[in-house]
Amino acid sequence: MQAIHAKQNHDGPALQTAGLTKRFGERVAVDAVSLSVPRGTAYGFLGHNGAGKTTLIRMLLGLTAISDGSASVLGLPVPAQRSAALARVGAIVEEPSFYPHLSGRENLTIAAAVRGPEARTRVDGALGRVGLEKRADDRVGTYSLGMRQRLGVARCLLSDPELLILDEPMNGLDPGGMLDMRQMIRALVEDEGRTVFISSHLLDEVEKTCDVAAIIDGGRVIAEGPIEELVAGGAGELIVECDDAERALKLLAGDPAVRELRREAGALRMKLHGPEQAGEINARLVGAGVVVTRLEPVRHSLEERFLEMTTRLEVAA
Amino acid sequence: MRLNLATAWQMIGADLLRLRKKRGFIALVLAAVLAPLLVWTGYQVLEHASNPAHYGPAGGLAHFARMLTLLGVFMGPVAAVLIGAEAGAGDIAAGVFRDNVVTGRSRWALFFARIPAALIVTFTAIGMGLAVGLAVTFGFAGGLETPSLSLILQSAAWLALANGVVCVIAIGLATLTGSRPGTITTLIGWELVLSPLLVQSTSLGSARDGLLDGVVTFLKPGPVVGGPPITMSIGVAVLVTIAWLLVLPALGAWRAQTRDA
Repeated sequence: MQAIHAKQNHDGPALQTAGLTKRFGERVAVDAVSLSVPRGTAYGFLGHNGAGKTTLIRMLLGLTAISDGSASVLGLPVPAQRSAALARVGAIVEEPSFYPHLSGRENLTIAAAVRGPEARTRVDGALGRVGLEKRADDRVGTYSLGMRQRLGVARCLLSDPELLILDEPMNGLDPGGMLDMRQMIRALVEDEGRTVFISSHLLDEVEKTCDVAAIIDGGRVIAEGPIEELVAGGAGELIVECDDAERALKLLAGDPAVRELRREAGALRMKLHGPEQAGEINARLVGAGVVVTRLEPVRHSLEERFLEMTTRLEVAA
Repeated sequence: MRLNLATAWQMIGADLLRLRKKRGFIALVLAAVLAPLLVWTGYQVLEHASNPAHYGPAGGLAHFARMLTLLGVFMGPVAAVLIGAEAGAGDIAAGVFRDNVVTGRSRWALFFARIPAALIVTFTAIGMGLAVGLAVTFGFAGGLETPSLSLILQSAAWLALANGVVCVIAIGLATLTGSRPGTITTLIGWELVLSPLLVQSTSLGSARDGLLDGVVTFLKPGPVVGGPPITMSIGVAVLVTIAWLLVLPALGAWRAQTRDA
């Protein structure tokens, strides 16, 4: 069993796992996952449905036992110091649940009672923070899904959390609701310095909302890093426009730096073995007297990168 | 996360809030306690009014004794089961148990906070039944004997014991199974059908001493109504009550601790 020797300070990662594993009988739902979630970031945890996202969250929160490996939350090992760790964590797992016969305010009052006396003083502030103050005294049974998601975030805020763990917070939201949620998450990170860990299968939303992400597939993390790096990572793809595309095509055909090459709408589109080889391509063309008028790395969406990675794994399997 | 007295009170208050604000449920509980009492009393009042020579007044000591049986052995326990089942499994049914667990609060604390809140609701409902029963006992006594203050106080304590134990058992079973309908069906079937039959089965001999119904009937203060008196030692009665009070709640507490939230 790998061990995490996290210091109990405020500088280390907000979440850290080492070889975290969950087995259900013979089936491995989470397979030796090692993550490090930096503080003060919005961290996206991406994966298909059934990839192991919620199971990992449930282990972190002590809702289900860890089969192997170790984890720490805010520098404290879980489950050993779960209670202390979760005192400064707000979490929504799967979907926020409430008593439908009670109002939003009453539901938060009940949740605050479990947290302790200080949490009760935060009920009104939390309702205002998520924009529910006008509907706070209506029964939750009359709330839309988007309002319940916001009320879930308000419940998270009762503990004045350093870390929020939100499992599929965009699920079921309309575009306006998604925008609200995205803005709220960004404000929690940028204005209030909190860490937000978001699991989602909505790649576009994670790309727009998060600073850092990990991609999980079949229970294993297959990529982790800043969104920019994930998007730009991999082979490196280039679009080149020049004064003589036909000649450039002949020059680059068979070039060891180029993996794939094709003409596309008057330009050349190529995949390189690495993004650093763009300069070599430029030098080769210019050296041969070809005038390069445009040389632009292709920026993939996170969705394309995600599909590329997971498809590659499926092919390899 | 330490549990201090202020937080414990808050948690009990929160459980009380979720129970008392469920209006349909509260109406059902009050109907279970009050409706049979009012129907039965109304019938007796009409009987007496139609033929005073044949039917005595609706109130008095005999009415009081029968009212106690109704509240302590039949309809009171039904209300206690409804309340206990809601208190024990309401948060699981609503999905809120998981959200409470992720606060880091001890699962023991989450379980035990349910008990005082449920008992408060139970005692309030039974107290209302007792108040109505006393009003009839004294209001329609005519010239009949009425219960003394001492008997009234003993009866109140007995009602609290009889219904409180059933309520705590229901909380334990509901937490153990996670099912309100299952708990209500099982315990009402036990309380109203199976247990009274077993208590009346003389062939069971002293094995009947282990039945809560037998203990409750044995401990009932005031005149005996409806069948021969049940005899057992007070020590056995206390031990059986404690056993019923401990076993199912302990299983419920264990399940609250181990349940995959």
